Amino acid sequence: MLSDISLGRYYKVDSLLHRTDPRVKALLYLVYLVVIFMIKSPEAIGALAAVIGVQVFMAKVSLSVIWKTVRPVLPLSIFILILNLLTISQGEILFQWKIITITDYGVARAVLMAIRLIFLILSTSLLLTLTTTPLKIAEALESLFSPLKLIKVPVHEMAMMMSIALRFIPTLIEETDKIMKAQVSRGADYDTGSFLNRVKGYITVLIPLFVSSFRRAEELAVAMDARCYRGGGGRTKLNPLKLTATDVLTGLFLTVCAAGLVVMDLSLR
Amino acid sequence: MEKISVQDVTFTYGSEGADVSAPAEPALENISLEIDKGSYTAILGANGSGKSTLAKLIDIIEVPDSGRIVIFGQDTSDDALFWQIREKSACVFQNPDNQIVGTIVEEDVAFGPENLGIKLPELRERVDQAMKDVGIYELRLREASGLSGGQKQKLAIAGALAMRPDILILDEATAMLDPRSRDEFLAVAEDMRLKKGLTLITITHDMSEVMRCEKVIVLSKGRKAAEGTPSQIFADISLEQYGLRRPVSIRFAYEIARLAGTSLTAEDLTGEARLREKLVKILSDPDLNRNPDIPEAKENFRSKSSGRKIMSVKDLFSTYDGGKTFALKNINLDVYEGEILGIVGESGCGKTTLISHMNSILKPSSGDIEIYPVDGITLRCSQKKDVPRIRQTVGLVFQYPEYQLFEETVYKDICYGLRKMKLSAEEQKERAVRAARAVGLDKDILRRNPFELSGGQKRRAAMAGVLAMSPKILVLDEPASGLDPAGREEMFALIKSLRELGTTVIIVSHNMDEAAAYCDRICCIRDGENKVTETPDSLFGDREKTARIGIDQPKITKFTNLLKADLKKLMPQTDFGKPLFDPEEEARSVYRAVLKARLEDVK
Repeated sequence: MLSDISLGRYYKVDSLLHRTDPRVKALLYLVYLVVIFMIKSPEAIGALAAVIGVQVFMAKVSLSVIWKTVRPVLPLSIFILILNLLTISQGEILFQWKIITITDYGVARAVLMAIRLIFLILSTSLLLTLTTTPLKIAEALESLFSPLKLIKVPVHEMAMMMSIALRFIPTLIEETDKIMKAQVSRGADYDTGSFLNRVKGYITVLIPLFVSSFRRAEELAVAMDARCYRGGGGRTKLNPLKLTATDVLTGLFLTVCAAGLVVMDLSLR
Repeated sequence: MEKISVQDVTFTYGSEGADVSAPAEPALENISLEIDKGSYTAILGANGSGKSTLAKLIDIIEVPDSGRIVIFGQDTSDDALFWQIREKSACVFQNPDNQIVGTIVEEDVAFGPENLGIKLPELRERVDQAMKDVGIYELRLREASGLSGGQKQKLAIAGALAMRPDILILDEATAMLDPRSRDEFLAVAEDMRLKKGLTLITITHDMSEVMRCEKVIVLSKGRKAAEGTPSQIFADISLEQYGLRRPVSIRFAYEIARLAGTSLTAEDLTGEARLREKLVKILSDPDLNRNPDIPEAKENFRSKSSGRKIMSVKDLFSTYDGGKTFALKNINLDVYEGEILGIVGESGCGKTTLISHMNSILKPSSGDIEIYPVDGITLRCSQKKDVPRIRQTVGLVFQYPEYQLFEETVYKDICYGLRKMKLSAEEQKERAVRAARAVGLDKDILRRNPFELSGGQKRRAAMAGVLAMSPKILVLDEPASGLDPAGREEMFALIKSLRELGTTVIIVSHNMDEAAAYCDRICCIRDGENKVTETPDSLFGDREKTARIGIDQPKITKFTNLLKADLKKLMPQTDFGKPLFDPEEEARSVYRAVLKARLEDVK
């Protein structure tokens, strides 16, 4: 039931983007985050779509996986589209019926917001979750934020918590599935009834899920203790991060692309 | 000689423990024991006897309130030695999912040595070696969450070995594994002990595992109840009082000895071959007791079935991965009213998928399941309109159902399904009380919060929630998993009593001894196919058949088959009849057969 959600799911394949240093990918992700929310012109958006297409190619991720990544956010994306259509009243009126007013500016804005959301999900997946294991993401963040250790920010601990959270997503999805099946077999129905009833239905799933998460957390803490985990000090790495020439090239290439998009957008305004 | 020495240790879980409201009783009290370096020790005890706590103290995850623990000459209370001592021991715990930290197999194996600050290239060498030692090197780049249960436990051992410990503690590490994975897992652990001189400490409920150890320590309610070699423990101590049971072969031998009016010594129990030799000697003695005290046969609980078909699985196919992989292939299976049907097979063979279809949680890709609650009515899983009635007719209790409780009182939780059926408040109450009684829960437990109950009570409460819907067929997925021997017996007694009340029961299990002892018929699933559905005696009585199907025989049968072969050599005319699966009953049956053959001989 829930196993289709790809957030946090690593897509195992050997590709240029998979091999790229996670720090480079994390920085690129930041860059593209800015780009996605900065550019407005249709031409630049089209170009951005092309760049994302190039990233798909670089990540060797199949189109069906891309579709699986995008599909869960489509309802939200459509919701945002409609909300923006109905609430924006600036610009030239295209259509008016009773209280509903749709303007040309509203249409442009609504489409832009919906597309941004999809681009956001795609970038997150391509640059981070699909191509980088959770531990690598955490390592990258730890490494990038390590200067903050000087002002006593527990960077390692935060990175560890994050990687564990990501590592447990598939486990908890499996568990949720089990709980839901058990309740369905006792007559639960999550898909029909009023909205309130459906929300209530999910509460009966969340409670056992929380209880078991606490139990897991406790057991995991003991297991980590037994394996002599004592925070970041003195730890070594099996696969330490090493910046290679290819990483730098990949990073530069995608950064130049991003810069190009911004310049293009600004010049078209 | 270097030792792990526990000296008069008492330990109480502090306020950080889960249950603050309960008065803090010591989890361990005045425990003293010694374990030699390089030895193989089992720690036995019922659930809650303090076994795991003892393991945590040896790994200094917890520190004793009083007393001393000295590990190979180093005192654990010495703060300066803390990490040095902890590095010496490694643990493998019960639940594979809750001890994996890394996403990728090799990243997880590296977690321990990384913590120890081992530098490359030694780190890489250790990780690779550990993975090769346990045989998961080929899986090194796989995602850990996608491994099977057995593979995950091997990964956990590799993670422990990569730390190069002196002590390896297995804390019920095999409890969630099927027999084959369990044997493989233990073989790896024992092999490592011999090759690397590890001190191996295993905490287990599996008595056949205990037989492989050099020393046994029995704990009961936080105190040391007994200590000795396995044969001493099984010879002298009445384990029943601690909620434990002897291994089936030894139970069998003791019953034979009792009937013959002789006794067994610890010496006789030092191995199954030795034990068989002794039994042959007893049974071939010319002065064999001719008037044994054979208690009246237990009421034959088998074949209570009316013979009416209540469910029929027809050409069922099931796929996952969007139709690419078959979980079930052409399953055909009839279930008769009032029987206990066992479904056995290795983990991942499709057992759980099959029972999910029975309750219409999964939709068949082709084929169907028909359910006949009463004569003349046919419910079909493929018919959407039948689904609500199917879910009331077939009650499904998944593995570890206690993890799925969610209401604030047991009563409300039991009533969940009844509310969904929109029954009146009185009807709900009546049914909930009846269901609670059926699973042996007191009325006043109904008002309590389910999260306050003990493990066994929680499981019963969860089962009551399904029973309250008055299902005609009750399907139980590994109902006894995680329970100690006494708890398992209680669970099966409960299942029998439910059948007495007229419920048809389907049990999924990978424990062949229990399936054989409690089920009327057994259905063997392998690689998603129904290999055979037969009575336990015709299935397990034939070694070639079980080998061909690829399932394990019950331990009692393996033992008595060898014994019977030995006896046949001396007394070829003996007719042993059908095998029985209760060790005591089988002993009586063998004794009777031998006696009969001998009497005929005299004539």
